[in-house]
This record gives sequence, structure tokens and C-alpha cells, in this order.
Amino acid sequence: MELLDSTLWALGMALVAAVVFGLLGLVSGTDETATIAPVTLLVILLGVPPAGVFAFFMAAIASKHITHAIPTTLLGIPGDTMAAPLLQDAQMLRELGVPHIALRKAISGGVVAALISVPLAVLFALVLTPFADAISSVAPWLFLAAAMLIAVLSKGRWAALFALVPFVLLVVGLQGFATTTLDKGLSIAFFLGIATGPLIADLFLAASPAGRTLIGRADQRTFELARDTRTWKGRIPNPFSVLDRKQLGYTATAATISSATFVFSPVAMTVLMGELFGARFKNGYHRLTSRMSIRNGTTESTYIAETLIPLIAIGLPLSPMAAGPANPLFNAPPVYTIDAEAGTSNNLHDMLDPLQFLVFGLLAVIIAVVISYPFAMTQAHRAAKWVMRTVSHEAIIGAFAALIVVICLYEGGIVAILVALTVGLVGGLLNRMFNMHTGVQFMGYYVAVLTVPAITALAG
Amino acid sequence: MKRTYLEVWGDTVDGRHLLSAIIIGVALATPAYLLAAWLFGASDIEPGLAKSYALLVGLGACVLTGVISARLFPPKRVLTEQTDEPGSREAAMDSIEAEYGPLGDPDELPEAVLREVKELGIYEDLARQHAKHVAKEATR
Repeated sequence: MELLDSTLWALGMALVAAVVFGLLGLVSGTDETATIAPVTLLVILLGVPPAGVFAFFMAAIASKHITHAIPTTLLGIPGDTMAAPLLQDAQMLRELGVPHIALRKAISGGVVAALISVPLAVLFALVLTPFADAISSVAPWLFLAAAMLIAVLSKGRWAALFALVPFVLLVVGLQGFATTTLDKGLSIAFFLGIATGPLIADLFLAASPAGRTLIGRADQRTFELARDTRTWKGRIPNPFSVLDRKQLGYTATAATISSATFVFSPVAMTVLMGELFGARFKNGYHRLTSRMSIRNGTTESTYIAETLIPLIAIGLPLSPMAAGPANPLFNAPPVYTIDAEAGTSNNLHDMLDPLQFLVFGLLAVIIAVVISYPFAMTQAHRAAKWVMRTVSHEAIIGAFAALIVVICLYEGGIVAILVALTVGLVGGLLNRMFNMHTGVQFMGYYVAVLTVPAITALAG
Repeated sequence: MKRTYLEVWGDTVDGRHLLSAIIIGVALATPAYLLAAWLFGASDIEPGLAKSYALLVGLGACVLTGVISARLFPPKRVLTEQTDEPGSREAAMDSIEAEYGPLGDPDELPEAVLREVKELGIYEDLARQHAKHVAKEATR
């Protein structure tokens, strides 16, 4: 009876999440941390049982990372933060006049990776469980090492590495400011600031006469949309026939590797996997489409594994993902709580067992796929044409500015808005000037909140 | 005077329209959220939950402001469909190759990918571009 109850909750909540976040994926720039975390928090506070909460979250990320490819490929604006690494290749395929093939490769890769990363993540979590205590004790240093590695590997190279110092200090200072004025630290404001940094920097440029000479354009941008060709046979679009065998193999390999490396920034992993396995494709066109599939697959696998592994094995939010969008699953007082000092938890880690994580996780992902995949496959061209003709970029930016303000007000009032603005302007300029991408900045945030206290404790 | 545009976040916008859209968004969504937070907070709903409901209202307001701005301000982009007139794709291919490297010979693709390229109708363009690339390499 209890099992049936949990299953029904999981089914229902997954269905709701798949539809809501599938539609939200269409709206470009809707950051995962900014949207999924607060709504999951809402679901938890509403009193939904653990299986329902978990399925809701899993369906939300799986569904959003399918439909986020629609604005990314057809509009040329990242659907969300994780879609940003897809943008460059998507842009080139769109210039070729084949945005729909970029879309199909991306979402098919996403489906394949999502389906295989759930069982893989549960497996890796079980392998890791015996070492949970050891991992918790060195977590701050893992974040530091990861931040430095990702910085050096980014396009910013040494500049990105050394820029971590002022960036981390900025976060530490702002966090201190927030703590003294609000009696609590902030997290969503920092995430929003980092995620929307490029937009905020552009807005400052638009406001200054010197900046306008930099971003001013004489003509409107021209977009060319190709014929809507169906590249599949039969009625039901099948991800396995959209990808060729080689693409399928490397997408699955990338999903496996990125599931295991759960402490790295998902954005950075997405970039890295695309570079690493894209290089295996000699032909230029083939490499472009393959990277779409591999990268979008990695957006699914990192999100799924980085949530599941710490959740099952440790119970503390010890991955960039777990500390970000998945944070409410670990810590949503008064329903779910963690005691950082004692290292104990009372959250989904304690309420579901690994088998339940596997079954409900798969169930949620399958529901998300069944809803979003056919929609994106069959309606994307029409939806994109409609969006291009009717939805202006001004409207998107305006709504997004409003979203930043509302979510910041929700988290910490005016202080949170000021924090997001500051982090966004500095981060956006670091991104523009030194190619210090948002993945490096996210890791910098974790260094500031996890590693810096550990260093001060050592020094003190 | 000829109208000029700004490229913000990857697309062209009109500066004045952009400013208006941001003002509309913030000026509508902020009071919507604050009012909802105040109303739900005054009711006997549990405080954590009241804030979440208010957030939902705020998110709804953001969507609404997007709709309003979309109605007021038309897109500043030119959308062309079909790529029958030659030249435009060739220019695109040249700029892609300058940035990314050669697009490659379509005939070396595996059969499934070759079929995909032909169904997309870009096989001839890719072949022509490859021939151009080979010719350029030869004269170098």
C-alpha cells in the first residue's frame, strides 16, 4: 500500500515537473538554479512525500535539458546556464541553415545520456559509500583543486586561475556583508549573478557611450531558417536512429565519464567532454553535430549523477550541482535538515534507499523523455518560427531582469539584488575580458564558502 | 537618421525598447511579489509556504511582463526561410571555416551521415565548399 502510494506520488509529480519545466526550457535564459531550486523547495514545503519530491526534481532537470536545446539551436540564445556550452556549435549549424539538425542531435544525445546515467550514478554511489566519511573530511580541498584545474583548462588559462583570487575574495566579502545585514548567507543571489553576468555586463556596456561603440550595430541581425526536413522514418521519433553509431557510442562514453566525476562543475564538464570526444570526429560537419549530442548528453548526465551520488552516498551537498539546483533535496528546513558541524542529515539520503532512488529516478526520467522528446522533435520548427516572429529579445531580457529581481527579493531582499548585481558585473566582465567562464566562477563560489573557512580554521 | 541597434546577450535590440522592457518587467513583477508576500504573510499560511506562494505569483508576473513587452516591442531581427538563393550559405560557410576550420568532404562521411546531409539539402553546398577549400590549399 505504501509502495503504491509512493509510486503514484512519483508518477504524478514527475508528470507535473516534465510539463512545467519542459515549457520553461523554451524560455531562454531561465537558469536552472534560479528556477528548479525554488520550485523544488516549494514542493518540499508543501509536504509532498520523499518519492514525489525526488521524482519531481529528476523529471524537472531531464525535461528542461531536452527543451532548452530549442532556443539554443533555433534562437541562438542559451536556453539556460547549461545550454551555454552548446551555443557556439549550435550557432554555426544555424548559420549553415540547419538549426533543426543541431536540435535533434542535442535532444537525442540528452535522452540517451539521461537514461544510462541514472543506473550508472546509483552504481557509482554504492561504490563510493564506504568512503563517504573520508570524502566529507577533504571536501574543501577537493573544491579548491577542482576550481584551479577548471580555471587553467578554460580559455582564460592563467588569467582565469589568478583571477580566482579577487573573485573568491569578492564572494567572501559579499557573503560577509550579507551575513551581517541579513543574519544568513546567500546562495541563489550569487548563482544568479554569475549565471547572468554576461547579460549584466552587456547592459552596463549599453548604458555607457564608450560601451555603445563596442556593441552598437548598424543593422538588424538576420536569421535564416532551413526547410523543416524530417530525418527520421516512421511516426515516432527515435533517438537511436537520429544519432549514428559513432555518435551514440561517444555520447554514452561521455555520459559515463561525466557521471563518475561528480565534483566538477557541470558547465566545465560539458565543455570538456565536447572537446575531448568531438576531436575523434575528423569531418568538420560530423564533428559539429556530434559535439551537440555529446555536450547535451553531458548536461543531463552531470546533473543526474551530481545529484544522485552525493545524495545516496553521503547525504551532504558535496558537488556543484548538489550545492546549487539540488540543494533543497539536502537542506530545506524545517522539512529536510543537515547539521554541518556534526556531519549528520535528515533528508532524502535518509528517507529513500538506493533501490528507490534507482526506480523512482528512472521512472521520472522516462516520463520526462516521453513528454519532452516528441514535443521537441515534432514542434520545434513551428515553435521556433513563432518565437522568432513574435518574441522580441527585449521582452526576454525584460522578463529575465524581472525574474532576477523577484528571486533575489525572495532569497534576501534588496541585499540579494545588490549581491547579484555586483557578482554579475564583475563576473560578466571577467568573462568578457579574460574568458573566465561561468563554470570557473561557480567553482570560485564554492571555494569561497567551503575552502576559505577551512583555510582560516587552519591558520587560526 | 538611420536607426541603430545594440547587440546584447547575442541578439540585436533597440536600446530604448530594451530599457522600457526592463522597466516594465521590474516595475510589474516587484510589486506583484511584494504584495503577494505581504498578503500570504498576513494570512494564517505557514510562513515558509507563504513565501513560496508569493514566489509563484512573482514568477507568474515575470511571464506576464514578457508577454506584454513582446506585444509592445517587435523583434529586431530579420527572419528568412528557405535557402534557395545561393551565396548566403557560401558566405556563412566561409566565415565558419575561418573560425572553426574546414567543414570537410561530405563524401568521406559514413553512409548514415551522408544520407542525413542529403536529406537536409546541404550536400551540394558542402561538396562545393570542400572543392573550394582543396583548390585554395593547392594554390598556396
